Amino acid sequence: MPILNIVTYIPLVGALVILFFVNKSRAGAIRIIATATAVIDFFASLYLWPNFDRAATGSAMWQFRETYDWIPSLGVKYDFGVDGISLLLILLTTFMGIIAVVSSYSAIHFREKEYYALLLMLQTGMIGTFCALDFFLFYVFWEIMLVPMYFIIGIWGGARKLYAAIKFFLYTLAGSVLMLLSILALYFFNDGGIPFLNIKGLGNEATFAVLQYHEIGHLIPPTLQFWIFLGFFFGFAIKVPMFPFHTWLPDAHVEAPTAGSIILAAVLLKMGTYGFVRFALPILPDATKQLLVPIAVLSVIGIIYGALVTLVQKDMKKLIAYSSVSHLGFVMLGMFALNPMGIRGSVIQMINHGISTGALFLLIGIIYERRHTRMIADYGGLAKQMPMYAALFLIAALSSMGLPALNGFIGEFVILLGAANSTALGTITYAVLAAIGIVLGAAYLLWLYQRVFWGPLDNPENANVPDVNWRERGMMFALIALMIWIGVYPKPFFEIMEKPVDYVVQKVDRSYFDKQPMTYPAAPAPTEEHHEVAAK
Amino acid sequence: MASALLWVVLLPALGALINGTRAFAKPLTPKNRSLTNMVALGTTFISAAIAAWAVITNGAALWSHSYFEWIPSGMGHVGGKIADFSIDFAFRLDPLSSTMLLIVTWVGFLIHVYATGYMSHENGYTRFFTYLNLFMFMMLLLVLGANYIVMFVGWEGVGLCSYLLIGFYYDKHFAADAGKKAFIVNRIGDFGFILGIFLIFNVFGSADYEKVFALASSGAVAHNSAIMTAICLLLFVGACGKSAQVPLYVWLPDAMAGPTPVSALIHAATMVTAGVYMVVRSNVLFRLSEPAMFVVALVGAITAIFAASIGLAQNDIKKVLAYSTVSQLGYMFIAAGVGAFTAAIFHLMTHAFFKACLFLGAGSVIHGCGGEQDMRKMGGLRKYMPLTHLTMLIATIAIAGIPPLAGFFSKDEILANAFGYSKFIWVLGAISAGFTAFYMFRLYFMTFRGEYRGAASSSHHVSDAQVAHADHAHDDVHGHDEHGHAGPHESPLSMTGVLVILAALSIIGGFVGLPAVLGGAHPTWFQHWLEPVLLPIGGHAYHFHEASHALEYTLMIVSVAIAALGILLAYRLYLRRPAVPDVLERKLGFVYRVLENKYWIDELYHATVIAGTLALCQVMWWIDRWIIDGAVNGVRHLTVFFFGHGSNLFDRYLVDGAVNGVAWSAKSGSMMFRRVQSGLVQNYALIMGGGIVLIALVYLFMKT
Amino acid sequence: MTWADTIFLLPEIILAAGASLLLIAPVTGFRSDTRTAKWSMLALLAITAVSLVICSNAVVKLDQSPAFASMFALDAFSIFFKLLFIATIAMIVLLSDGYLQGSRYSPWEYYSLVAFALCGMMFMASGIHLASIYVGLELMSLSSYILAGYFKNEQKSTEAAMKYFVLGAVSSAILLYGITLIYGVTGSLNLLTIATKMADLVTNDALMFGVMLLGAGLCFKIAAVPFHMWTPDVYEGAPTPITAFLSTASKAAAFAIFARIFYVGMHHFRLDWQYVLATIAALSMILGNLAAITQDNVKRMLAYSSIGHAGYVLLGIIAANETGLRGVLVYSVVYVFATLGIWSVVLMLERPEYAGEQVDAFDGLHKRAPFMALSMIIFLLSLGGIPPTAGFIGKYFLFAAAVKAGFGWLAILAVLMSAVSMFFYFRIVMAMYLRDGEDAEVNRSGALRFVAIVSLLVTLALGVYPRYFIDEAARSGRPVAKPVADAGR
Repeated sequence: MPILNIVTYIPLVGALVILFFVNKSRAGAIRIIATATAVIDFFASLYLWPNFDRAATGSAMWQFRETYDWIPSLGVKYDFGVDGISLLLILLTTFMGIIAVVSSYSAIHFREKEYYALLLMLQTGMIGTFCALDFFLFYVFWEIMLVPMYFIIGIWGGARKLYAAIKFFLYTLAGSVLMLLSILALYFFNDGGIPFLNIKGLGNEATFAVLQYHEIGHLIPPTLQFWIFLGFFFGFAIKVPMFPFHTWLPDAHVEAPTAGSIILAAVLLKMGTYGFVRFALPILPDATKQLLVPIAVLSVIGIIYGALVTLVQKDMKKLIAYSSVSHLGFVMLGMFALNPMGIRGSVIQMINHGISTGALFLLIGIIYERRHTRMIADYGGLAKQMPMYAALFLIAALSSMGLPALNGFIGEFVILLGAANSTALGTITYAVLAAIGIVLGAAYLLWLYQRVFWGPLDNPENANVPDVNWRERGMMFALIALMIWIGVYPKPFFEIMEKPVDYVVQKVDRSYFDKQPMTYPAAPAPTEEHHEVAAK
Repeated sequence: MASALLWVVLLPALGALINGTRAFAKPLTPKNRSLTNMVALGTTFISAAIAAWAVITNGAALWSHSYFEWIPSGMGHVGGKIADFSIDFAFRLDPLSSTMLLIVTWVGFLIHVYATGYMSHENGYTRFFTYLNLFMFMMLLLVLGANYIVMFVGWEGVGLCSYLLIGFYYDKHFAADAGKKAFIVNRIGDFGFILGIFLIFNVFGSADYEKVFALASSGAVAHNSAIMTAICLLLFVGACGKSAQVPLYVWLPDAMAGPTPVSALIHAATMVTAGVYMVVRSNVLFRLSEPAMFVVALVGAITAIFAASIGLAQNDIKKVLAYSTVSQLGYMFIAAGVGAFTAAIFHLMTHAFFKACLFLGAGSVIHGCGGEQDMRKMGGLRKYMPLTHLTMLIATIAIAGIPPLAGFFSKDEILANAFGYSKFIWVLGAISAGFTAFYMFRLYFMTFRGEYRGAASSSHHVSDAQVAHADHAHDDVHGHDEHGHAGPHESPLSMTGVLVILAALSIIGGFVGLPAVLGGAHPTWFQHWLEPVLLPIGGHAYHFHEASHALEYTLMIVSVAIAALGILLAYRLYLRRPAVPDVLERKLGFVYRVLENKYWIDELYHATVIAGTLALCQVMWWIDRWIIDGAVNGVRHLTVFFFGHGSNLFDRYLVDGAVNGVAWSAKSGSMMFRRVQSGLVQNYALIMGGGIVLIALVYLFMKT
Repeated sequence: MTWADTIFLLPEIILAAGASLLLIAPVTGFRSDTRTAKWSMLALLAITAVSLVICSNAVVKLDQSPAFASMFALDAFSIFFKLLFIATIAMIVLLSDGYLQGSRYSPWEYYSLVAFALCGMMFMASGIHLASIYVGLELMSLSSYILAGYFKNEQKSTEAAMKYFVLGAVSSAILLYGITLIYGVTGSLNLLTIATKMADLVTNDALMFGVMLLGAGLCFKIAAVPFHMWTPDVYEGAPTPITAFLSTASKAAAFAIFARIFYVGMHHFRLDWQYVLATIAALSMILGNLAAITQDNVKRMLAYSSIGHAGYVLLGIIAANETGLRGVLVYSVVYVFATLGIWSVVLMLERPEYAGEQVDAFDGLHKRAPFMALSMIIFLLSLGGIPPTAGFIGKYFLFAAAVKAGFGWLAILAVLMSAVSMFFYFRIVMAMYLRDGEDAEVNRSGALRFVAIVSLLVTLALGVYPRYFIDEAARSGRPVAKPVADAGR
């Protein structure tokens, strides 16, 4: 069964149905179809979870492969396949897809038809990107994602939507173009070489197959690796976004409609980190080690800088947006610890950030629909008026600030553990600095919480705001259930990513695992010897 | 055993879950309340009972069990070797955790009972018990965890609960601020703690007590090596945050914004002692680093005397107790620092009894006085609330260190050990003991003796008025807003009963540590009990520092004398001649103001740390908007207005001249063609010729 | 020559005859309304196409050798382009229909001129002899000069025609001079002979200068910097269907001869002219894309973007390898159809007196014409080279060829410039979807819609599943790429 194709294209089908078979006036029907599509897609993707062989290694690690000839003359194949990492991200995507659709019921009041169609198309693009094992195909999906998001921000966005939309589009496009150059460079290196740089190629048959490049990666001369890596870096770092390429994010988030923000934070940002772990690291080990320090430094700067800037935000959405910069700094740092802890942590943190930040954006959307303001100053004492909402928000905030027994902690802890133990980074300094980010994280989230929910309910406009309704509760409960699951029993998630992560680690540092295992002595029995008095 | 302990931990969580779902029910009907009580008390009691059973059956054995692999972090490098950094969800039951377990569950249960009476008027009744149960759950995790990570979960968890409970009156700004402050200061401590854990991973390849301590005690790690000192100091930073030591103590006094049972349970008996527990738990590591030990002792001593001195001049009954708690915690760290780990735990236990008793007593007083917390508005309560008075008197004597009450034994053991370790530390300890005796009895006299100074019937209006411009923590306003009441009155049985039990414990609690000189066992029964957790290092058994009997007697006499002196002074100043304090205030006004204002430490922090951070944030924000984003937009503008218009002008200049030529000449009909040509040819010749010249040049330069 | 040779020419002959008939049709009192004119023109195109297919098969049966003293070849390359031309012209006819209905000018002359232009283009595609190529070129050019000024009373139109004519004349002169120089050195005008002659020569500045001039003349036709100045004004001034014609069919024809001349004739000295053309390509891409950013008139914007695209195509010619030629073929098709689609939308908004040509005329188009707006996005994405549209495939070949030929820096520049181009393409998208415009009436003619649909299908089909088309292009390119390939080994 071509499950990956099914999962990928169900949303597209739904979108087309909405576009061509539903009258734009019938918003209700459109919502139902969109929701149904998202739900079906989610359940379809669930099929992957039990049927994925977690023990498989090597090229067998990529499963549910679907390979067809596409453009033979270019060596382009239509090649789908997932490993543990992409599988997790796909599940995240389909899950957040439902949230995004359902959260839009009350948020979107015009041009529903186009809206839901675009939302679903976007989902197809995202899933495809995670499935693609062929650079050409990957790039196709990567670009497809841009356009729907551009419209979602640009049409249903806030006051400065045009600015935000075009900024998002061009900034990301610029990055992806550089990435394309790197892909082509790889392609030609594998094939005929790159004359104008006097680089001899390997003379293999032309191909875009990612796995092929995983194999030949270490053969690429370091200088070329460096430049290729740089191209990838700009493509992915803008998407992540890493400091200092992050400034499109706050604008995009603030202007985007709730669902847009959710998808943006939950999935689109992960494209960048996914790109790093799937392409940059395994294919370009030397360059990775070469650029390790600058990237780690940028990540740490991102963590602290992002947190500091977050502290002084007056707009809730902007606040959360900047906190994303900080959180993704963690993801990057963990990844570039180049050891299993670091990378596992950063993968799980991708998921966590998706859930927690997604939840926070959802909650902000909920209050925004009621009060039409996101300014913190307009609130205060909401806990009295909307206790349930306050409780939900608190849990989301706690998970985002990395409180143990919730998901955020697992990610941040494992990442920092990796960074602290990283032989590649060679020093604990990065971990120390990054840990400051956790303190600041508590600071800005609790301060936000205090200003919005605590204190007297002094703004009369908040006096009779209704508490969350069942639709909103349902979404939040689902998200919170995930937060607790990952926080309390993350093992399944770690199991499924174990082999892929080790694979990446070994690609970068081939000797990582061949070392003597550590041994421990038996605990000595408590002494029976008696206690002579000191001053005898 | 394994499942039993799991139940011990899970039952409170269950209670929290059930009550949590009911917490949103608006009206507070008696039915609701009794249901809440049933859930909260039931769960805590059963868990306490099971805990007792578990401890008894386990005895002094070192039992530990891993329930499931919690965080499979993967393989890490340790030295030249590779170790599995995965973390289990595991519990450990040994004498140390057993002791803590009993304290936490039983004191916790008692305070639950007390709270049912105390909080009875609150709207957030169910919410309160949800938090309280949640706290029990987290605290038990902290105590029972078999590795640093599980402990850290509890560690952060209790921090959260304390945040929620301090902010229980969330619509009061001071409560909200205090909660936030507590959480963030704790986070700063946790920052150190977690880094310590990472270093432990780097050195020992695991965070599991058994492995770490086994490796440490096998002599594999060098004494006083920099890395060990670093680990211990970082762990101690965590302890300072949680146990409110200098310089991170600032949150605890403010934490009194929470309801009094919370202050008793979390901010006196259990949570704040977690730091001590952690240090004692890691005694094997600390014993590997003398510098770290010294720092611990020193910080403890400084905190003890510093907080005690502040306690001298406070008028808010809960504030006094808060500072006394800080100072007592300092004592415990002195003990840990000088290597008397058993003494630390011993004092932890006795302190749990009498300080809980004191807080609850104070709560009962406040409850009785309609929310009044200012001792100057109390006095003579002895006749209104005899039981409270009696119990509180006992507890006061106990904390003052008068034999044969609990406080005496523990404090004495600490001082004796301190003396053996360093005279200086001992002096500090002794002085703060004197202070303690003084301010505790000051509290006692101001509250229970003399004449009642509050306005009887209007007391609760007073309190309201006070709340209106209260800058200090002030709870119960809710409860007592609803029901005005006439004058001070004794509290219900649910509260006084608990007081009696705790008072009894503060009397007898000390005898488990009856020293040899007073006819106890040698080592004392308590020392013997805790011995299994004090592993030998590199084959060398652990030595209790102890003084000779003669010296010990003298030390006892001295400390009792100091205590007596303090009491006497308090008696003279606050009972016999109540005028004197004012005289004193006038005489050494400066010192008094310094103490009353707590050395302006809060103000200092505000001016430096907080203001500094916020300023930094503003700078960063400016940079982000104007420099980083400015660059982005700059590129855009550059493209559009420079290149775009630039190349456009280039075209204009060459082309539009021609265009205009045509446009203009086209108007003048018949002459058009000539004009057109004359108007255009130069331009075209220019451009095309230029182009051809250009390509010719390129060719000539590039030609091979 | 033998009569058998005429079979090579049959399609052109039919077309020319038909064109003449169209010209005289009104005189013969034949019902002269636009509809009849349109259908007869389409019929003529159909017949030509059919005859072309038949003849080509016949030629395959006969011996392949070129006809008319090897001036005229009917090889896969020429057939590929001829079919493209015919299809394009058919589209142009459909685009012109509504426009002519509105005007008071005779459709018959108009169509016959278009037919003559097509005839010229077909000659160009088949020309393997500089003379025949030049003749074809002039036939096309002269017809298009007239067409540009066809609406005599429109001032802008006549201006445009005038400028186009004068400049065209200059460029033809340059072209001719180049041809003369080449003839002087090699003593032949036949590309193959020239190639063999050149093979014996060491570098020769006179000859190279000839090549330069020839290149300059061709660059004028494809509107490459610095021979592009006419483009914005002519595009703006000419009647929009003619603008469409100039920017699609005539450009494609110019690409065709450019490729054939330089691949077949000049490849021996490619090391000399590659850099020159590279400079021109770079300039075109930079100036075209950057200048387009600030244009508010859609026709001008498209003019500049077409300059940029000329730059891209030059990459394929510079590369002088099989991939490059394939790129030229593929990209011609891709570019032509995307552009046709865009013009169909522009024409839909077109109102008398050049109204509705500004970018803001597109405001809120998604409300007025959802389908056209949607397809407009696809066309723009295709021009921008965003997958999964055809543009990405076409650009891929061109850039890949450049890299293979050692012009990687040019490829990088091209990639960056196509990113820049999205900037102004998305101005239109933004206007259509993100802005709310006045509900100006739009022309809902089926013809425009038909053109849009066809272009859309081609753009998407070639983007999503280009496999067979690419192979076809490779096959068609072989006759022209062969000399290069031989020289290569």
